[in-house]
Amino acid sequence: MQLQDKYRIALLSAYAVAIHSFESMLPTPVPWLRLGIANIITLVTLVLYGFRSAMTVTLIRVILSSMFIGTFLGPGFILSLGGGVSSTMAMGAVFSILPRLFGPLGLSLIGALFHNIAQLFLAYILFVQQIEPILIISPILILLGTITGVVNGIIAGLLIKNIPKNKSLSKKS
Amino acid sequence: MSLKEITKETTIADRFLVIALIILSISGSLFVKKAFPEGTDVRIDVDGKPVYLLPLDVNMVVAVKGMNGDSIVEIKDKKVRIKESSCPNKICVHNGWMDRGAIICLPNKVTVNIGSPENRQDRTIDAITG
Repeated sequence: MQLQDKYRIALLSAYAVAIHSFESMLPTPVPWLRLGIANIITLVTLVLYGFRSAMTVTLIRVILSSMFIGTFLGPGFILSLGGGVSSTMAMGAVFSILPRLFGPLGLSLIGALFHNIAQLFLAYILFVQQIEPILIISPILILLGTITGVVNGIIAGLLIKNIPKNKSLSKKS
Repeated sequence: MSLKEITKETTIADRFLVIALIILSISGSLFVKKAFPEGTDVRIDVDGKPVYLLPLDVNMVVAVKGMNGDSIVEIKDKKVRIKESSCPNKICVHNGWMDRGAIICLPNKVTVNIGSPENRQDRTIDAITG
């Protein structure tokens, strides 16, 4: 890994940690609604710098911000880690296999969908162990994830369009 | 930046995915509502002890022997009411038709509970965070 890549990952992770921690402080009308703004950083990293950078940024974000919020190794952390890793993997797989099919909007939606599926699956296995509440909550979560995914995808698309690919992010030109 | 510019940036697959997810989640929530209705049976307790366990989808009228006399419970069209009661203030009768929740007649110590066998286990999901 080159030095410039390290700087880039560090900077992107710092953005992601800041956004993730800020987001966890926002009050939401329903407890399971989260905006997933930090996914914007993952998506931008994936499209501009590839899957490995995106996964590194996601892992750093989930682990560091859970330490800042104080949920490290707790139930929220497990859900967050599972959701983050599977959404990054789904977005990375789709982006590398079919790079032209989906734009940032579609990738963001796939990420949101897999984030929700992974969290529901983990919640079922680890905490709830009843299929009925999971089935009732799933469509609501997927609908909310679609709405936030559209917004995040549009923002990520604007960012990707406006960040020159080969320029270092830290330098203001 | 306008809506037109944003839609110009998306691919056909993007738009298809948005519509598919919205249709899927809305139809999913409708399906779940059909598959898991709020209540499937009616449990009638007197003084904390279960007396009757009746299905909600069969119309019937039962007389429940309460502390001060009979309470007439009627089940009709998946709704329940206490039709008549021998209690003094008749709050339970004025409650009317219920399709979920419970009707409680305190003087007669009769409670009518609408639920399903699953959610009687009192293990409901609290919240998902992360």
